[in-house]
Amino acid sequence: MARIIDISGLAGAYGARMLVEGGHDVIRVEPPAGDEIRRMVPFVGEPGPEHGAYHLYLNAGKRSLSLDLESAEGQSALVKLAATADVLYATTPAPFDPEQLAQSNSRLIVVLVEDPDPELCLSARSGLLSLVGRPGRPPMMLGAHLVYSIPSLYAATATLLALIQRGRTGHGERVSISVRECVESMMEQAMIEYTFTGQGTERRGSRGTITATSGALPCKDGYWLLSLIHRDEGWNTLMEWMDDPVLLADPSLAKEENRHQQRDFIMDRIETWARQHTRIELVSEAQDRHIPASAISTPADLTDDPQLIARGYLREMEHPEFGPIRFPVGAVATVRGTAIKPAPRLGQHTAEILTELGYSARDIEVLARPRR
Amino acid sequence: MAETAPLSGVRVLDFTHVLAGPFCTRLLADFGADVVRVESRLRPDRLGAGTWKPGFEDRQDRPAAYMSSNRSKRSITINLKTRGGRELATELAAQADIVVENFSAGVMARLGLDYTSLIKVNPRIIFASMAGYGQDGPRRDWVSMNVNLQGCVGIMMVTGAPDDPPIAVGNSWCDYVGGLTTCYAILQALVDRDQAGVGANLDMAQFECNLSPLGPLLLAATLGGVLPPRMENRSATEAPQGCYRCSGNDEWVAITVETDAQWRSLVRALGSPPALLDARFDSVAGRLANHDEIDRSIETWTQTQSAVEVARALTGAGVPTERVRSIQDVVGGPDGATVFRTMPEPRIEEMMYTGLPFHFGSGELATPFAAPRLGEQTDDVLRDWLGMDAIKIDALREEVLV
Repeated sequence: MARIIDISGLAGAYGARMLVEGGHDVIRVEPPAGDEIRRMVPFVGEPGPEHGAYHLYLNAGKRSLSLDLESAEGQSALVKLAATADVLYATTPAPFDPEQLAQSNSRLIVVLVEDPDPELCLSARSGLLSLVGRPGRPPMMLGAHLVYSIPSLYAATATLLALIQRGRTGHGERVSISVRECVESMMEQAMIEYTFTGQGTERRGSRGTITATSGALPCKDGYWLLSLIHRDEGWNTLMEWMDDPVLLADPSLAKEENRHQQRDFIMDRIETWARQHTRIELVSEAQDRHIPASAISTPADLTDDPQLIARGYLREMEHPEFGPIRFPVGAVATVRGTAIKPAPRLGQHTAEILTELGYSARDIEVLARPRR
Repeated sequence: MAETAPLSGVRVLDFTHVLAGPFCTRLLADFGADVVRVESRLRPDRLGAGTWKPGFEDRQDRPAAYMSSNRSKRSITINLKTRGGRELATELAAQADIVVENFSAGVMARLGLDYTSLIKVNPRIIFASMAGYGQDGPRRDWVSMNVNLQGCVGIMMVTGAPDDPPIAVGNSWCDYVGGLTTCYAILQALVDRDQAGVGANLDMAQFECNLSPLGPLLLAATLGGVLPPRMENRSATEAPQGCYRCSGNDEWVAITVETDAQWRSLVRALGSPPALLDARFDSVAGRLANHDEIDRSIETWTQTQSAVEVARALTGAGVPTERVRSIQDVVGGPDGATVFRTMPEPRIEEMMYTGLPFHFGSGELATPFAAPRLGEQTDDVLRDWLGMDAIKIDALREEVLV
């Protein structure tokens, strides 16, 4: 278990949460007013720094240390903390001098997530926006700040890699994560297509881009999802089920490359057929035939999901404020069985951590006192 | 550099196919591991074959997408349908640190190559499986692909405008997220093994890997909170923010105003149109409340000019602005993507590849090498990992090594 100081903004926040799921002691250093994650919508109940849903999920399992890093005393406490830590995990602009912190601890790994752009500009610049949205209408950024899951995943992964490397060399790495490059990397498939064929990739609304027969399709009572594999078998199984005379008349469609040529025509035919059936009929019949189909959900549809409950992803928790709830522990905590505690109140562990660092009760009182 | 990379000396036996699994093991290869892909001539991984348009034919025996996802790996052909093939795979697993597979749930168990079978020959094994819904639970037998996951975890319903149909992401987003999450879990198991000496069974459900970044909204719903509407391109705290149409075909700019000073700069850059000089727009609260009205004025201005001109003018005025780039601009344009680099690829001389988007101060992690031909290193791997001699290898050639 490593001790990790977390001073990350949204671009790295999900990665710090993954480090919690890995079983590490993650110390969230926050300004006296609380971090920016605490103020993000939506709120659960009364809006305030203890009720933000992003805070309640992303800061879960961390300890909260409230420090005023604009004061000399706050900076000095951070230096002391860094001397005892394995990793300093932060996004830029960072409120400290990494060189100074590393000086007192040559084993300290410094992970800096370089985040120069606002979210929408980042999505535009990397090309990701060009892949999302309805044709002819504005390109769309991913909702729920999902674009930041990519730099977060790389930052968490690189942190572990640096821990492994330190086991070999004894030295703490300086790791820099480029948020721009992380998001650019999601253009890999478009890059391959473009460099091999000269073709661009366009946004297709509800329909998929990579395989020909994929997307969200309207049906009798809403939408369902279909995504055929690129092998011939998937098509043949679908045709047995649909029994569509028009599509069956063209046996060349068993080949994915031919389906790509006519993908909108094919999807229109499937759509017409599917409109006669309900979501449940379509999804259960498809899965019985081993065709990848599923229902469309919003996160609100999954709070009682039997799969997530059965696997312990939604885990019973007695929350100090909300009582008994089913808490989403996360993918990694699910397989590792990691216990995840509720998110800390602002500064909940300040005294505890400063005591660990050798501060006296009196010093702690001075540090915690609001500055004039 | 490979000898000094963090995972040098780590052996990965790779039973994956298509994208999520091969991407995960490609990361391990990039970090310096010796990744051996187990394949078969009877059912080669046709990832990307024919997925693309005419002109995208195979290079020798490999499609382009395969070359990208499987660089820096070695390939061995084993027929797992034979008993000898399964025995050989078990012998290799006994020498491996990590096994990764992304078959449907239960397939590896039927082959006798699941975690329970392999710990008998290798108690330190780290075994990662990447089925759609995991190896247990009521939906364990459901099949699932990237687009299914995009819809069923909620990505399609949090993206776009409130009255939009579900909106897909035009890449295999969920395969990348699932591959990265699994890679993270594998590295954590390696760290733990160094300390505790035991391996791990990592039953990574791709559904859960992709739901987890949406955890804040799932938790909000669990606690009875009201989920926000789909936000289009807007922000809850900054305004205006949006994609605005420019002149030309499907040309757009993205603009985010983060401060009142930037707002005043934007208004000046637009020539101070009377419609925007309204006192209601002085504060962010007023701009958020009157976003539609502001958007109309901005677009009246942007659509008379090219996206390049708009971006130049507004960036010059200090307003965060980017032209919405297409892949052509990202790959080839000035100030384009730096994550795409060039590596040698003997089939086509060289190819563009995706580098790692992070950097270690001590130097590069590992230098990439070209994806293997089918079974290219079969003999090498049997010699390196099992110390097998040529006579033994030849005896397996006809039935097992295909």
